[in-house]
Amino acid sequence: MISRVTNATQTLNAQRNLQLSLQRQAELYDQASSRRLLTKPSDDPTATASALGVRSDQATTAQYQRNVSNGDAWLTTADSALTSVETLMHRVRDLTVQGANDGAMSPEAKASIATELDGLKKSLLSLANTTYLGRTVFAGNSDAGVAFQPDYSFTGAPGSTVERRIGPDTTVRVDADGAAAFGTGASSVFALIDGTVSDLRGGVNVTPRLAQIDDRMKAIVGEHAEVGGRQTRIDKATDALAVGANALEAQRSSLEDVDLSKVILDLKTQDVNYQTAIAVTARVLQPTLMDFLR
Amino acid sequence: MSTFGALNTAYTGLVAAKAGLDAVGQNLVNANTPGYTRQRVATSAVPALASAGLFSGGVRPGQGVTVDGIQRLDDAGLDARVRTTSALSGYTSTRADALSTLESSLNEPGTNGLSAQLQKFWSAWGDVSNQAGEQAPAGVLLGEAASLVTQLQTGYRAVDDQWSALRGSLDGMAAELNTAAAAVADLNGRIRSSLAAGQSANELLDRRDVLTASIATLAGGVVRPNEDGTVDVLVGGNALVSGTTANAVKVAGATRMADAAADPARVEWAYRPGAAIALEGGSIAGAVSTLAPADASGTGGALAEAAAGYNAFAVTLAQRVNAVHQTGTTPTGATGLDFFAIDASQPAALGLSVVPTGVGQIATGAAGAGGTDGSVADAISQLGTGPDAVDKQWAAFVVRIGVASHTEKQQSDLADLATTSAVNAQVAGASVDLDEENMNMLSFQHAYQGAARVMTAVDEALDVLINHTGIVGR
Repeated sequence: MISRVTNATQTLNAQRNLQLSLQRQAELYDQASSRRLLTKPSDDPTATASALGVRSDQATTAQYQRNVSNGDAWLTTADSALTSVETLMHRVRDLTVQGANDGAMSPEAKASIATELDGLKKSLLSLANTTYLGRTVFAGNSDAGVAFQPDYSFTGAPGSTVERRIGPDTTVRVDADGAAAFGTGASSVFALIDGTVSDLRGGVNVTPRLAQIDDRMKAIVGEHAEVGGRQTRIDKATDALAVGANALEAQRSSLEDVDLSKVILDLKTQDVNYQTAIAVTARVLQPTLMDFLR
Repeated sequence: MSTFGALNTAYTGLVAAKAGLDAVGQNLVNANTPGYTRQRVATSAVPALASAGLFSGGVRPGQGVTVDGIQRLDDAGLDARVRTTSALSGYTSTRADALSTLESSLNEPGTNGLSAQLQKFWSAWGDVSNQAGEQAPAGVLLGEAASLVTQLQTGYRAVDDQWSALRGSLDGMAAELNTAAAAVADLNGRIRSSLAAGQSANELLDRRDVLTASIATLAGGVVRPNEDGTVDVLVGGNALVSGTTANAVKVAGATRMADAAADPARVEWAYRPGAAIALEGGSIAGAVSTLAPADASGTGGALAEAAAGYNAFAVTLAQRVNAVHQTGTTPTGATGLDFFAIDASQPAALGLSVVPTGVGQIATGAAGAGGTDGSVADAISQLGTGPDAVDKQWAAFVVRIGVASHTEKQQSDLADLATTSAVNAQVAGASVDLDEENMNMLSFQHAYQGAARVMTAVDEALDVLINHTGIVGR
């Protein structure tokens, strides 16, 4: 049976078609104004799962980036401290070489070298206690406030290193090992300089101290090189994380955001459709036989 | 045939045409009345009198026309189809509405959802790890943790509120069903007496059909017509309306989601409390299924399942964070501390709370690794990533609701399509077409004029016979 067409069915159909058209228009308008394709999970459950994962990865990456910049500051602090330490150590060695010239040096000259060495030791001690944001960069996770006590004892716990996470499975050590660089207690560089100073003042030849100073300098340079190596890792991580963050943002955008030009085109088309529907409806619903009867 | 027989024939024509015009008038004025079914005057020709006796003489024409009744041009099959489809669309649309509200309370995906807060929480642990023992990052961490707990509670409460709101509207739907059933029973009585008195009950039938359709939308059911013009409405196999009697239903069971597991919300017969009605469809069935308690396989009512999901997530979060937190040591050396606590007297999502109140109670480092070690904090911050991430449980929860909502919406759309097509077919058969009525009006008008003309012709013929006969040559 071909279904009967009446004014009521025409009105009903027109209403439904206009409503559908308007719904589609509202949907597109919503997308165009919010610029989001994915406003609720049921829009696309699969994309929602991906979007949640990507957002989680983005947050993690942002945290790694913060960790990296924090680690960078630690390493930079350690690096500049070690650079100054090396300069001071060169001066210590020069002065020790001068002081070893027993024949040419008067006791007064040796005393003045001893005084300068004493000053250099104090500078070294203060450099060894360099801090970043209140934490010593040479003493691992120690909370003593200084890496080396006035009696040259090291406050860091053995094996306790400061690590910064730069990836799900990767951490980078961002402190420098103060015990390895400066030595501890009686074998520390500070005790060594103290010994040199007392030798100079007591008229003992300081030549044997030179070898010890050279050993210490090797240790310091070695530690500096390690800090440099870690700095390289941090720099690489910075770049990798920036690239990763861009890629993640692109993924998120492709999952959640609308293609604006497409939406605007669709919206325009839909607009035309809607207007056509209204115009046609107005013409179709108007006439009845009554208009033509006397 | 008697002398005046033709006058009577013309008179029956006038009556029939008048009745036809009346029917057209009724149709036209009710063209936009909801549920109105178009009517036609059924007429039939009156046959000629049977000839009796020897001198009956010749063939005779019929005796005119009779009005047999006023037909209601409905189609019981189409009406039944409308009821069946609207029962299904009532069921699915209630469920789809509930799920749509539920998923919009999640605020996912986006910056306002729980997942975003969770990520802030893990990041705060990362910052604490970078500056272990410092006041500022610890303060941020405690703030983010408190926000996370609040957001979980807000989410849970939103589900709880939605449950209560739906439970309230279930009461409303049951009351609506009872009202409609009582009205159908009342109409049954009036229709029966109208029909018994030989009157037309068409308008009453229209009203009853509207009511049975709304009963179908609410509770599904089957409409079974009886000989005397009444209908029985069966819901879940039992009579909601039987002749002129309506059986009331009532909503029983929990009025709070917390009690739903022990005493699920259900609809029962008022005369037989304790036995739930197994509804086949309708929005009441949709609401009851949405209000159902959660079960072990995750196929219970959508709202209770969502609440269970919140609870399960709160438990996982607390357990996973605590497990790592307990291995750490605070700056003062205390170990084995919990970060989250769950009040067992409440649902886990509501009972979740943050234990530490200051930097001194957060276990950030491993024992013996120095006072500013942040390795434990770092390990906690890693709970949010990797294949076994806590976030994944939340994402799975969100996606589960999304999929359910998506499916339910599709079903609802399909059911709506079926309903639309059924309603269209019904309306196409039953609605008034103005053009058609105009045509009918014209033809009845002409029929009336024709009958009147016949009357005039007979009148003139009789005039000739009575007044002008036998006066030849006068």
